[in-house]
Amino acid sequence: MNLKRLLSLTRVGIMSSLQFRLGTFVTLFANLIYLVLVYYLWKAIYASSGTDVVNGMTFSDTMIYLILATALFNFLENFVVWDMSRSIQSGKIALDLLKPMRFRKYTFWSYTGNHVVQFVLTFIPTFIIVMIVTKGAINLGLNLLWFIIATVLALVINYNIEMMVAPICLFTESTWGINIVKETIVLLLSGASIPLAFFPEKARMIVQYLPFRAVYDIPLSMLLGKSGSDTWQGLVSLFGLQLIWLAVLTIAGNIFWNCAVKKVTVNGG
Amino acid sequence: MNGLTGNEAVVMKNVCKDFKVLNRHEGLKGSIRDLFSRDYKTVSAVKDVSMTVNRGEIIGYLGPNGAGKSTTIKMMTGVLEPTSGEILVNGKVPYKNRTENCENIGVVFGQRSQLWWALPLVESFKLLRDIYMVPQKDYEGMIELYRSLVDLESILHKPVRQMSLGQRTLSDILAAFIHNPPVVFLDEPTIGLDVSMKAKIRELILGLNKEKNTTVILTTHDMGDVDALCRRIVIIDKGMKIYDNDIDHLKNYFGSYRTLKLKLADDTWEEMLIDEKTTDVMDVIMARQKETKIKDVKILEISTEDVIKKIYEGSSK
Repeated sequence: MNLKRLLSLTRVGIMSSLQFRLGTFVTLFANLIYLVLVYYLWKAIYASSGTDVVNGMTFSDTMIYLILATALFNFLENFVVWDMSRSIQSGKIALDLLKPMRFRKYTFWSYTGNHVVQFVLTFIPTFIIVMIVTKGAINLGLNLLWFIIATVLALVINYNIEMMVAPICLFTESTWGINIVKETIVLLLSGASIPLAFFPEKARMIVQYLPFRAVYDIPLSMLLGKSGSDTWQGLVSLFGLQLIWLAVLTIAGNIFWNCAVKKVTVNGG
Repeated sequence: MNGLTGNEAVVMKNVCKDFKVLNRHEGLKGSIRDLFSRDYKTVSAVKDVSMTVNRGEIIGYLGPNGAGKSTTIKMMTGVLEPTSGEILVNGKVPYKNRTENCENIGVVFGQRSQLWWALPLVESFKLLRDIYMVPQKDYEGMIELYRSLVDLESILHKPVRQMSLGQRTLSDILAAFIHNPPVVFLDEPTIGLDVSMKAKIRELILGLNKEKNTTVILTTHDMGDVDALCRRIVIIDKGMKIYDNDIDHLKNYFGSYRTLKLKLADDTWEEMLIDEKTTDVMDVIMARQKETKIKDVKILEISTEDVIKKIYEGSSK
């Protein structure tokens, strides 16, 4: 393991992302519109329910959760599937395969710089705004540390989910449809669009053990002190779930990639 | 493999590569049928190619479009696995030790860039230095060498996206040499470039080859590249090797061919290729003179371009 390689890739990623600062502002603006929509939608839901607390969450709990989920989405979002299908179609993948690093590792570290930039430019400002608007509804203590650890794990798990889908492109040459399906599944089952607390009891039982939850629900629960993350026992089980899925997906992704890479035919030239 | 002297950079023995391709059908109906089709055919892109490239050589790897050149290059770089046969690059099997192999090769695909598009060139160089774990001293030495070969200052701090095609290709070649690999593959490095840029790039390749004794495997369609760089050429067509020898030998091969150039009354030059074994040059001139006025006559030795054309045409008959 050569740390210098990884840091260098991250550094270049940060510099590249900063070249596209307009994109960041557009993202913030788009978020604003989305959140206005979410605000009125949930306001209507709470108004029609007749109670202040639905499924153990107040209106402001839900809003904080969803705003932070959106910010987390911007931070975790990567374009592994799009980029890979484009580089397979154009044949550029040959150049990435010719780097003296394992491809999965190389690709992951070429995205980290972008994640760092997004964290600083979208997640932190959103978090601060939420803090100001709610006058400090989020507890600032050890939960921040758990959140950061859980987010890093979520980042790797999310990358692994992407890398379970991206190599399909080597077989089909196009992943547009598959990627849309994947994005919808991840956003729904991870709790990024609807808090998991709102799922029907039976669905929640299943979703609770799926890897998608480890991407959004677990880090956010840790930040907000929900899902038992305020007890040691709860913390251990949440981190345990993340680590198990991390291991499973990494191993499965490696196996899948090693099979898929044999399929490389490399277009053009 | 036996009989290696240790001086070989690349050894290929009876290498074949087959691709499985779905038999596509025409029209909308056909496209729908293809969704469920299991009707594959096997296409042989490379058939039984053997060759040896020695250290420090620059070889021209030629062939018409679709001959299997790029497939061969991709097998040598380890991106593709040969269906059968053996390949050794720097003494190792490329596709089995891909990451290791990558440390010892440099690759330029003329139509693609490995540079970081948004950033100044120097950032790509620094990143490649770290990825290939090049010691700082060696890196600086390489940059010094680049300075002596090309006008580095004009491109080093320029973002890659603002470069002209020529500058970008030049930069890509420099990037491929940064870790001083023993073998470099250049796949059509001069494609789309103007005459003076082509000359610069050829000079650069020659310079790097001389300074670092780098083995260069070059594919190109530009015979100017071949004349300027290669002493030996290998030609493949339809996946089979059809020529492997010195470039001088190649010309002897078609030694009886002459290029005849005639300047006509309207000051245009007419050019034809004549095989002296079968046709007498004087007869051609006289026959032409009966039809039109000839102002000037030139008889030239066959050009590499014509030789290659002859070979391509010959093999496709």
